[in-house]
Order: sequence, then structure tokens, then C-alpha cells
Amino acid sequence: MNRKKQFTEGLVTNNPVLVQQIGMCATMAITTTLFNGVGMGLSVLIILTCCNVVISAIRKMIPGEIRLAIFVVVIAGFVTIVDMLLKAFVPALSEALGVFIPLIVVNCIIIGRAEAFCQKMPVKDSFFDGIFQGIGYTVVLIAMCVVRELLGAGRFGGGLIDVSNGFRFTLDGTGAGIQIFPESYGASIMSLPFGGFLTLGFLIAAMQYALKKSEEKKTKKAEQEKEAEK
Amino acid sequence: MNKIIRLALVLFAVSAIVAGVLGVVNALTAPVIDAQKQAKTAAAFASILEAERYDEIDFSNPDFPTVLTVHKAGDAGYVVTSKFSGAQGNITMAVGVDNDFKCTGISIIEHAETSGLGANAASTGDVGVNFREQFVGQDESIALSNNGGSIDALTGATITSRAITEAVATSIWAVESLG
Amino acid sequence: MNEKKERMIFDVTYQPQVRTVRDTQRIMLDVIVATLPIVGFGVYRYGWHALLLVVSSMAAAVFFEWAYRRLLKKSITIDDLSAAVTGLLLVMVLPPQTPVWMAVIGDFFAIVIVKQLYGGIGKNFLNPALAGRAFLTASYSGVLTVVMIDGVTAATPLGYMYSDTPMPFTLAQSFFGAIPGSIGEISSFAILAGAAYLIARKVIRWRIPLSVIGTVFLVSLIFGHSGYGNLEWALQNVCAGGVMFTGIFMATDYATSPVTINGQVIYGIGIGLLTMLIRYFGGYAEGCSYAILIMNLCTWAIDKLCHRRQFGVSKEEFFAQKRAKKNAKKEAV
Repeated sequence: MNRKKQFTEGLVTNNPVLVQQIGMCATMAITTTLFNGVGMGLSVLIILTCCNVVISAIRKMIPGEIRLAIFVVVIAGFVTIVDMLLKAFVPALSEALGVFIPLIVVNCIIIGRAEAFCQKMPVKDSFFDGIFQGIGYTVVLIAMCVVRELLGAGRFGGGLIDVSNGFRFTLDGTGAGIQIFPESYGASIMSLPFGGFLTLGFLIAAMQYALKKSEEKKTKKAEQEKEAEK
Repeated sequence: MNKIIRLALVLFAVSAIVAGVLGVVNALTAPVIDAQKQAKTAAAFASILEAERYDEIDFSNPDFPTVLTVHKAGDAGYVVTSKFSGAQGNITMAVGVDNDFKCTGISIIEHAETSGLGANAASTGDVGVNFREQFVGQDESIALSNNGGSIDALTGATITSRAITEAVATSIWAVESLG
Repeated sequence: MNEKKERMIFDVTYQPQVRTVRDTQRIMLDVIVATLPIVGFGVYRYGWHALLLVVSSMAAAVFFEWAYRRLLKKSITIDDLSAAVTGLLLVMVLPPQTPVWMAVIGDFFAIVIVKQLYGGIGKNFLNPALAGRAFLTASYSGVLTVVMIDGVTAATPLGYMYSDTPMPFTLAQSFFGAIPGSIGEISSFAILAGAAYLIARKVIRWRIPLSVIGTVFLVSLIFGHSGYGNLEWALQNVCAGGVMFTGIFMATDYATSPVTINGQVIYGIGIGLLTMLIRYFGGYAEGCSYAILIMNLCTWAIDKLCHRRQFGVSKEEFFAQKRAKKNAKKEAV
């Protein structure tokens, strides 16, 4: 399995949110501050990688008839572990993400990868698949957070960055972020679910446009080569 | 038949392993989570009624359906948390009540009010702080200035303001009912 | 293929149809003319800021339309004036203290997202100006849900009527516009003058406005309110809020209202009922803009329901056709 190809697949050509269009519920709900986005993205990345490894490791022992039930049990286990760890050590994040951490259980990305990839592939490949797909998910979340936070509240890096006493990262979610323009000028509807739909729609459109353009370029190149051969 | 038993056993085994792991993690994290929760309540309560310790007391008076919990705050008085409906959704609020049945402060724990209007009640900005400070020292006869009291409603958020004012009065009555 | 194309050209409204020389530009110009008395009155009441708002919003709307079509290499459609009308109508339903930059953001949302992303004029399914208003109200609710005159918050008549405080405005004041409110909604007199012009020019028909205003009148007449005579209450409900303006200028938008005659009446009644529901039970004092947006979404279904027999087809033939269709469906199953 080609790692580089796996990487571009996770990030671009088979991006879980923008191309496969799965796991969008949380994507629209929590992407209001950078802190939430990074926290959610990393949680999914960790859970996805762990689930991928475990499911791939036991894939030969799982009877086909009950594979979905077993996937769900494994996923629910990891989600609950992450949920408890967050509650204990990063309570600010756990509070901000609320019900969306437990809801990762039903996030299609994880069961989708288990069904489509890990139940056929060796552990090593599944491990990298989890990491790359997780990164693809996180990058989209971060992009949405940046757009929505900027338009909605005129801020960058809310919860994660604090500049009141020089630049520093706040991992407990207390940083106020960098105010780019006064909050009263921000269209606060962008922080509401409506803004999530709008931003995601534009992101998907941009992604499809870029993919189409690169596809066109490829076919053109192939045609030119064909002609050159002639 | 054999097959079904085999499937059930596999599923049972997986579930048992996962449950075991969860049990271990829970045992490790439960005390930390509990401590976090305690610290959070104490921090939320300290801003409205300072005390060394807060002990939850049993309060189940059917006359006060909105009251969630009542904590005895040392000798200083009581902290009442209540959940009531605002303009958009439920508001959860903690109210400090001293031994003279006067409000010592309010703190909005959770709400779903309109941002820019009702949500100002919970904001950390001047609007929110000034609004909440009006409640300090009020007694059970508290009311909005529209209704002959002295609480100025938030601009454009009369419903939220009224709901909060009524809940403060309810909290004071709840403490009075303790005797 | 040919046949389909023909259908697409002719199937734009309820039959029978007449061909005339009127075009979009002419209609939009008529709308602008009809709003002149209202804008004039708004400027008289609120001063030059109102005029500045109207002009800059129209300019911004036209600019966004031009820029979008230019960027996406589509034909430039600004000379049909529809963008200018959207910009104009948007500020008419915003409170007078709205800052210019806010109106410009509303124009952007109305023109680019609501209108152009769905294909431009005639293809939007929501009224762009009202959608722009809804966007702004949700975004800047602190600024836009109150009316401020000379920097002081002024309670609108509807604000008084639906709280328990006594109403300081008489019916005549509400009708002629001595009340606080959006530029477009204050003077029912000016609005009716504009409406008379539009109906005389046959830009709009009377069905939608009448069914909207009539429903609001009837519902408030029947249910009333303590402290008011029923007739006074009903008239205040019609004159004091935004029903008059939005019912005449917004609900009649061609692209987002039904084309069938029965459909138009149902649509109007729906708007009136929803408006009164929001006024009596909702969190906002005024709800007609949301009522229209909701009914915009139902337009397609209403037209589908009210589809009637074609011109020249007799009743018997119509029902025979319907039965045949039904039977064919049954057999297919």
C-alpha cells in the first residue's frame, strides 16, 4: 500500500467530509471556535486510529454476520474511554463539545472506515488510514472553524490562543483568541447551525471545483501525450 | 443452532473485554472527574455567596417544581439552583440567598437565549454584569421596573429578564420555606 | 426535445396568457416609482440617514449582482433593475438606525447567496430582500430588533400592543405614520398610495395583498385583545406593523409566489395566519417577514395543488384525463 497515495486520499481525493460527505453532523455543530475544532478533530483522529488498529487486528476472528455489532461495541468502547479522559483532564473541551463526543459512536467516518477498509486490510495500513483520514477530518474542521469564527465573531483561534500577555497557546480553553475586528461587527448567525451549513456548502463546492479542474488537467495531459506518441 | 451460539459467544467475548477495559478506565478517572465537578460548583457558587463549604441539603417541595438543588453555604446562607423556561429555552441559574432572605447574587449556568438580546443576561461584558448586579440585596418583593420594581430589563429581552426575576423570587421563597 | 423547449417557454403562468411588450425592467421601474412616496415619507421622518441607507443599499445590491455575474462569466443582468429593487426593499424593512455597512452585508446575502447561487432572477425560491433581513436580524439582533430614533430606543406600536402596557398611539397616528418603525412600514397611507399605482399599472394583482391583509384583519377582529375594542385592535394590527408593506411589496414577488389564482389566495391566507400566530404567541412582536419566508417555501406545493384544467379543455375531458392518469399509475404498480 502506497503511503503517499493513502495520505492524499485522506486529505484530498477521498476526504471524509468534503468528498465522502460523512460525519457532517458534528462538523456543522461544533465548529464555532478553533479550540472546539482542534479538540474534536484530534478526538476523532485518536478514536479512529485505535478502532482501525483493533478492528484490523481481530478482522479474521470476526464472523461476517455480526461484524457491524462488533464494530459498534469496539467503537463505543473507545469513545467512552476518550470521553472519560476528556472529562477528567480537559473539562473545558468536554463541556464545549458536550454531547458530540459520545455521538462519535454514531459518526459514520469510523464505522465507514471499519467497514470499507479495516476489515480487509492489515494492521499497519489500517493504522495509517486512521491517521490520514483523521487528519483529513481535522483539517476540514479547522477550516470551518477559522471561517465561521472570523465571520461570526471577528476572532481567530478562540480558546486556543491568548495574546493578552504575549502570544501563548492555552490548552485549557480559556484563551480569548486574536480579535481581528470588533465582535459587534461579526454576523453571529455564522456561529449558529445555519452558518455551519453555509460554510460546509461552500467548502464542498470549492473542493469539487478543484477536483474537477485537476481531473480536466489530467485528461488534457493524457491526450497530449497520446498525440505526441502518434 | 451451533452457529448462533458461536456468534453470541464471540459478541459476548468482545463486549466483555470492552466492558472490562471501560471499568478500569472508569476506576482511574472517576475520582478526577468528581474533583473537577466539585471545584466547578464551588467556583460557580463562590462568586454569588462566599463560604468555606457547600453541602447539598434534601429539598423536594412540590410547591417549587423549578428548584433543582439547595446547598447550605456554611453559616452564610443558601445557594439555590433552579431550571426554568426563558424566552427561547430553559435557563439554569444559581441564586445566593443570605440568612435575611436577601439575594446575594445570581449566576447563569446554562441558557439558550437569543444572542445579543436575552443572552446578554449571562454575558461577561458590562451589560451582563450590570444586569446581574441589580439583583444583589433584593428581597422576595423583587420585580421589573415595568411592574413597579427596581430591576431594569435588558433591552429587547423583557421575557428573559422577567423569567430571571421571577426565578430569583422563587429561590428566595424556597429558602424561606425551609424555615 | 423541441416539444420540451416549447413547454418551458410557455408554461410560466396560469393559462390563458397574453403577450405584451412589458419587460422586467419596466416592472421593476414601476416598483421603484411606487416606493417613492414611502421613501419620501421615511426621509421626512428620519432625515438624511434614511436616504443614505436607501441609496447605498441599492448601489451595493447592483454592485454585488454585477460582480458575481462578472466573476462567473455570466451575462450581466443589472439593467433589469431587479437587484436595485432588492436593495431598496431590504432597507425598507430594516429599522432606521441600521448602519450602512450592515445593509451592505444584507445585500450581499440577498443577492449572492439567495438569488444568484440559485440561478439569478426568477429562480430564487425565497424573497431575497426578506431573506437578507432574516439573516441580518439573526446576526445583529441587538441592533436590529429595536427601533431607535435620534439615538433613543422607541417602542413600536406592536411592542406596546403585545405586552401589557397601554398603547400611546391612536389609529390615525398609525395610519399616517406618526409611529416609530422601519422606513417602509410607518405610513400605511404612503404604502396604499404605492399599492394603488402598482395595481393601476397591473404590476401586481389584488389577490395576494388582499388575502394577506384581510386574514390579519379577520383573525385579530375575531380574537381581539383585552383593553382594546375588537375593531380598533384589528385596524391597529393591519396599520401598525409590517403587514401592509410586506403584503403588498414582498408577498407579491413573482418568483416566490404561486401563479395559480386559487394558490395565490391560499398563499395569502397562509401568510396572514402565520403572521398572527407569531404576533400572538411568538417571541418577536412582528412576524410577517418570517411568515412570508415560510410560505415562499410552500409556493411550489401550493401551485401543484391548485393546478387546474387547461384553457379550452372541458370539465369532462379534464376529469377523464385525471382518471386515465390514475388508472395508468395503478396498472403500473
